[in-house]
Amino acid sequence: MSSYHLNRLLFDLKMSDQIFQQALANLDGVMNRYDLTPEEKEALKAGDPRRLRQLGAHGMLALYVMRLNPDFRANVYWTQK
Amino acid sequence: MPLVSALAASHAPNILLEPGAEWDEFMALHYRMAPHAAASKPSLEAQQKLRRDAEKAYRALRADLEAARPDALIVVANDQFVNFFFNNIPTFFVTLADEVKGQFTRHKFHYRNDKELGRAILRAGLEAGIDFSYGEYIELQHTQVVPLYFLLPQPKIPILPIYVNTWVDPIPTPRRCYQVGELIRKVANGWKERVAILATGGLSHFPGSPRIGEIDTQFDHKLLEIMREGRGRSLADYSLEQLLQAGDSEFLNWMVVLGTVGDAKAASTFYMPDHVATGWGFVSWKISS
Repeated sequence: MSSYHLNRLLFDLKMSDQIFQQALANLDGVMNRYDLTPEEKEALKAGDPRRLRQLGAHGMLALYVMRLNPDFRANVYWTQK
Repeated sequence: MPLVSALAASHAPNILLEPGAEWDEFMALHYRMAPHAAASKPSLEAQQKLRRDAEKAYRALRADLEAARPDALIVVANDQFVNFFFNNIPTFFVTLADEVKGQFTRHKFHYRNDKELGRAILRAGLEAGIDFSYGEYIELQHTQVVPLYFLLPQPKIPILPIYVNTWVDPIPTPRRCYQVGELIRKVANGWKERVAILATGGLSHFPGSPRIGEIDTQFDHKLLEIMREGRGRSLADYSLEQLLQAGDSEFLNWMVVLGTVGDAKAASTFYMPDHVATGWGFVSWKISS
């Protein structure tokens, strides 16, 4: 099955500050706009990039779920798009 | 005017990060993807030495670039989901913007883009059977700005970003990338100004993969030896699988530059594995017309 929608959400988290802020406030609400499986939603809520990759997310995009983690929110890597 | 300078250099983000806190943040992200890689985490002293060694390599490349007095610098790199997503992944892309910008950490970058040279490459490609994609807007990311910080810190000349798909399967073959380089050399040799070319990326690393932290130094040393011997053409015979197995997918960017230098021997090579994720490699070719 295509992981397009999972990757799309992760890409939007990376590229759109608006989506990122919305996800911080209400991740369920953002996830419901994408065609995701229950497993994908669970991995996103867990903030687990390794699990996301196993589910078909590209590794370079799976990393961006870490932006939702308070410990990684100000990481220097996010200073670029 | 001929092609006047050819360079290749790693673009690993930590080359431009400050040893210590910034490296630690960067490594923490890596280790979330591949916890086993933390076992080889470099000390602060090792990070500082790597930075010094990289600066030394970049100084040598910059001296060669400046001595060649180019009027434009083609930058062959890969995207990493900044400009392209799964709705449209170009295999080869030429930038036709008026200007290009980007940011990484506290550093901001802003260059004129040589779209006239870009159009010439596009047209030559169409005539030769290489159909590039193109577009009028891109954002620079670490894949370009890390080497540019060291090699072209002041935007004295325009650049021309060209993208190679090295990051989303299916990716082009080494031979096709070499052919793209041959085409660029042909255009550059007939161009009205002096053209330099820089490939970025590599060497061995596994970005976004469970193999993060593995660095195939043996394979990298072999690539560098082949380049020193002027046998870059032979690398077009390598299979994609050979490169991928060694974590050298971004070497496809280098294959484009190898196509521009033909049988020229690499004049300078530098190599240092960073003990985090990447074998840092730096090469300069002296071009004779």
